[in-house]
Amino acid sequence: MIKSYKARRIISNTIIYIILAIMGIVWVSPLVYLLLHSFRAEGMSAVPYLIPKSFSFQNYIDLFVNTGTLNFPRWYLNTFIVACFSCIISTLSVLMVSYAFSRLRFKSRKKFINVGMILGMFPGFMTMIAIYYLLKAMNLSQTLVALIICYSAGAGLGFQISKGFFDTIPRALDEAATVDGATKNQIFWKIILPMSKPIVVYTVLTSFIGPWTDFILCKLIMGDKINNYTVAIGLQKMITQEFKPVYYKQFLAGSVLVAVPITLLFLKMQKYYVEGVTAGGVKG
Amino acid sequence: MKYIDYKQLNPFQKFAYNFTEFFKKLPGRIVAFFKAIGRFFVKLFTGIGKGVANYVTRFIKGDIAVKLSYLIFGFGNFAKGQIIKGLLFLATEVAYIYFIISFGWPNLSKFGTLGTAVTQIVADGPFKKTVWGHNSMLILLYSVVTLAVTLAFLFIYIANTKSAYKLQQLKAEGKHIMTFKEEAKEFLDGKFHITMLSLPVTLITIFTIMPLIFMILIAFTNYNRSHMPPGTLFTWVGFENFADLVNVASGGKKGITFIELTKWTIVWAIFATFSNYILGMIVALMINKKGIRLKSLWRTLFVITIAVPQFVSLLLMNQMLQVDGAVNILLSEITGQTVAINFFNDTAFLARATVIVVNCWVGIPYTILSASGILMNIPADLYESARIDGAGPVKQFTKITLPYMLFVTAPSLITQFVGNINNFNVIFLLSGGGPSTEKLYQAGQTDILVTWLFNLTMNQQDYDLAAAIGILVFIVCATLSLITFNLSKSMKDEEAFS
Amino acid sequence: MKKIIAGVLAVMMMATAFAGCGEQTTSGGATGDVAGGESKTPSGAELFGDEDNISLKVWGPDKSVELLKKQCDAFTKLYPEKTITIEVVAQGENEAATQLLNDATTAADVFGIPSDQINRLVRAKVIQEVAFADEVKANNSETIVQDATKDGVLYAYPETADNGYYLVYDNTVIKEGDEKKLETVLEDCKAAGKKFIMSAGDGFYACMFIFTAGLKTDGIEDDGITQKFTDYDEDEVVATMQAFSKLFHDYSTTFQSSEVDKIPSGFSTGVCGAGIDGSWNVVADQTALEDKYAAAKLPTITVNGEEKQIISMFGYKFIGVNAASKFPRASQILANYLTGEECQLQRAEELGWCPSNTAAAESDTVKNNVAISAIREQAENSVPMGDIVQQFFSPVGNLGNQLFSDKTDPSDTEYMKKLIKETLQNVKDV
Repeated sequence: MIKSYKARRIISNTIIYIILAIMGIVWVSPLVYLLLHSFRAEGMSAVPYLIPKSFSFQNYIDLFVNTGTLNFPRWYLNTFIVACFSCIISTLSVLMVSYAFSRLRFKSRKKFINVGMILGMFPGFMTMIAIYYLLKAMNLSQTLVALIICYSAGAGLGFQISKGFFDTIPRALDEAATVDGATKNQIFWKIILPMSKPIVVYTVLTSFIGPWTDFILCKLIMGDKINNYTVAIGLQKMITQEFKPVYYKQFLAGSVLVAVPITLLFLKMQKYYVEGVTAGGVKG
Repeated sequence: MKYIDYKQLNPFQKFAYNFTEFFKKLPGRIVAFFKAIGRFFVKLFTGIGKGVANYVTRFIKGDIAVKLSYLIFGFGNFAKGQIIKGLLFLATEVAYIYFIISFGWPNLSKFGTLGTAVTQIVADGPFKKTVWGHNSMLILLYSVVTLAVTLAFLFIYIANTKSAYKLQQLKAEGKHIMTFKEEAKEFLDGKFHITMLSLPVTLITIFTIMPLIFMILIAFTNYNRSHMPPGTLFTWVGFENFADLVNVASGGKKGITFIELTKWTIVWAIFATFSNYILGMIVALMINKKGIRLKSLWRTLFVITIAVPQFVSLLLMNQMLQVDGAVNILLSEITGQTVAINFFNDTAFLARATVIVVNCWVGIPYTILSASGILMNIPADLYESARIDGAGPVKQFTKITLPYMLFVTAPSLITQFVGNINNFNVIFLLSGGGPSTEKLYQAGQTDILVTWLFNLTMNQQDYDLAAAIGILVFIVCATLSLITFNLSKSMKDEEAFS
Repeated sequence: MKKIIAGVLAVMMMATAFAGCGEQTTSGGATGDVAGGESKTPSGAELFGDEDNISLKVWGPDKSVELLKKQCDAFTKLYPEKTITIEVVAQGENEAATQLLNDATTAADVFGIPSDQINRLVRAKVIQEVAFADEVKANNSETIVQDATKDGVLYAYPETADNGYYLVYDNTVIKEGDEKKLETVLEDCKAAGKKFIMSAGDGFYACMFIFTAGLKTDGIEDDGITQKFTDYDEDEVVATMQAFSKLFHDYSTTFQSSEVDKIPSGFSTGVCGAGIDGSWNVVADQTALEDKYAAAKLPTITVNGEEKQIISMFGYKFIGVNAASKFPRASQILANYLTGEECQLQRAEELGWCPSNTAAAESDTVKNNVAISAIREQAENSVPMGDIVQQFFSPVGNLGNQLFSDKTDPSDTEYMKKLIKETLQNVKDV
């Protein structure tokens, strides 16, 4: 009986290993393909085989040397700056909103929560033109500041997960602190925040990635101000009809350069991300 | 079921009970939801009525300083020694008056017509000069801004009169009048929610709510390719755009397209959400199974795909799925014959299936991440008792894991469902809407409503129609999620840990 | 330089309705001495009126930015008594229109656009009428001028006559003389085991399937947004579509419909034998094929035993002036200068762009360029793009998709009839 149980376990585990291995290959192979072809030396946009015949760093070098019309390093820097600032503002607003909704009790709190939840459901691009003219009225069009504002302004609406997280922190803690004479401000900074590392990391990660991927709103805001573009527009530009034959390989190389730092960051922070999303997701 | 009966159930039965109750209550909840909306409006209007009544009473009962503060902001505060607060009120009034004269009124006054002056081209020697008329779009947008600012102003105005009246009462009762410093301190404690919410709410109001209202108003205008500002004016047309949409009876192609796309959008959202959810959970279960080694390696393999910007991976997938792309090359090499599958240009079924499968590639890693932790929280004795009852792994999954997960993650599932209804990226970058068909108006067979909207606005400049569709989608999504959220919340005590 | 001054003078005279001195343009050197021009420039500068301290922004596609900068420098030197600063910004021609519509006030004063975008700009009134219409009309063929004329008003300065596509092929694959017929082109590709690539699912190319049959676009209705079509013989249209469809099905292993970037890349890997490629890919195609590069106008197709020349869509590129420009006069003068014969010749030499200017088009540089000649030849068998509305492209692209699709039976006449009917409906939005 025990033997057969063990045998069954070994068989089922082997099947699981096989399934996981196959799925792992399926998931990673597009990325391997991307990586391999970003070093491809021959051909233009497409080649009729899977593994490149010759490798070189030329595509990467071109990204940093041919900066005449497509100034990739500059755009990379822009994106980095925008991502850093918008991630700070986003994280702060998310934490502030979710703390208020979770720990503080005030009039029409529930209404705020409901409104906050549905606001994000209108298709975003429909409001872009309005956002553009609002920024213009503030004299901010075509600036990086405008981008930072756009990417972080709505962040407060993503409060659900971190509110869920705060809900799990026992309220007895707050009460004890209040008895000791702490104000709510002090409770937030000294007690709640230090306990919230997972959710902070989660918010930082998700808001840091945003600016690297948007190319529609950014393009509308920047117009012809090429020096203020972000990498996403640059990459998207490289595969438009006009550029694709020549720039396709650089597009692949650029994509790798964008993906690598985010991947590293993600792997490093994975633990907290899981904790944050788990704790927050459960309570929602 | 009585409370006592409920308490005697084992945890497994409790979940099953809760799960079925959830769906039993749903119809009632929908009715309750609309009743709640009705109550909300009733409350709103009675609230406004009460507010006006109070406003008048305060004026009658107030002393001269209070009465003056109805005209000059902060006067009540000045009279009682609250100089800084008074100055702040006064500054608001001055700023608002300046705003309304220089910016607000010029726009708001044209709100009814959205502008009348037509752009003209006049001769300037051998040259031509453009004399710009009104810009309907800016008039509409700036009117929305003005209305929002006015609303905020009214709020401060009421606060000002209240404050003045309260000070009068305090003084009459001989109580302590707070200094500015004391009041400021209050914002770090008793009124801390105001401190915390003011910045995010301001940002959201400016960059989400105002544009949203603007777009909603657009649905009632004729802002389209034949009425393009700045050169030409557009104006109000009432519900014409909505009539356009439901005009299926006369065989209008837009109406047919709208219905077809709505159907596919719903099918897409269901499949995209649940395929990710269930498959992701199964993978997470496999990774977390006892005795499986290299857990972090497996997880990492999936997680890397999250870190690659979505538009890059989707465009890459698009290239790989072309007739001469990597997937076809791979299939050719495996089968030894030339395979040239036209994934996005053959049958609707193939393209739709492809889109859903690729979406799994994108979405499953997220589910793995969020499910891993939750799965570990499922009480082990549940599985134990199930095993003793002779339940196999499949039965355990359908009877324990799935209900538990559904119960716990229902809110986030709804968020995902709504997210998929608006999932622009996957469709737009991956299939571009293909395969094309002559049966739909300016849409392909994998186009969902949002991508169609995008085409209508960007290529055809039919902002009016797009806004109308946007509103319908918005209403459906919002209703759906409000009901589910409030329903699921009622089942879980928000303060379970307190 | 003198030539330019003379040109400007001539323009001014014509524009102010003095009896014209006509075209004084002759081909000549690129740059001259500024000193020589000084005595005459004041009269040219008068055109600017009271505009001074002029700062202008110019949009051109990335490839042309360097040359545009040079040309703008030359322009400022023409008017030493005016302070003119010109900023040249790279901006793709298709995006130019979108950005102008989004916000004309931050857009360029002078911009390059393809002809099919002019309509949208005219409707929103963000493009200014051409001030030097008479000169433009004298120096360019009537088709080009007509392409940018809406309701009798000319809206943009012709810049190039090459926004179209042509047959590009590997001359070791397609035998001499075989490039004249689509059937033989496909046969040669098949024999060599190579692909024939075109973007048949894109309305820009797919329009050839109906244009060749005599179903052409015919301007726009009075409402300014609805496409008009010429009268057509349904049987002929159906027969032509069936002929195309049959060819694609007969050569289904050879014919490939993909985006056009697969053509140069297919040449470089030896996959592709011939293709229908756009003029902007000429350099990429030449790099890929080197001395095997050959170009021709589009071939013929045999319909019911009769050889029909394939009719394509052909556009011109124009330079427009922003109606919201702060310096409307200076912008007009600059746009006119940039589309003058000399600047067009420079572009033909340095960028390989085909001039629209009749005189420039006759130069040897242009005539010796195989690609440009092929494009020019095809232009004679084409429908101008300027009168095609945005709604045209996706339904017609679908028509192309259906023709080569496996689901379609080329002999199904009823389906073809239905297809063409529905396509026209979708274009017209009825």
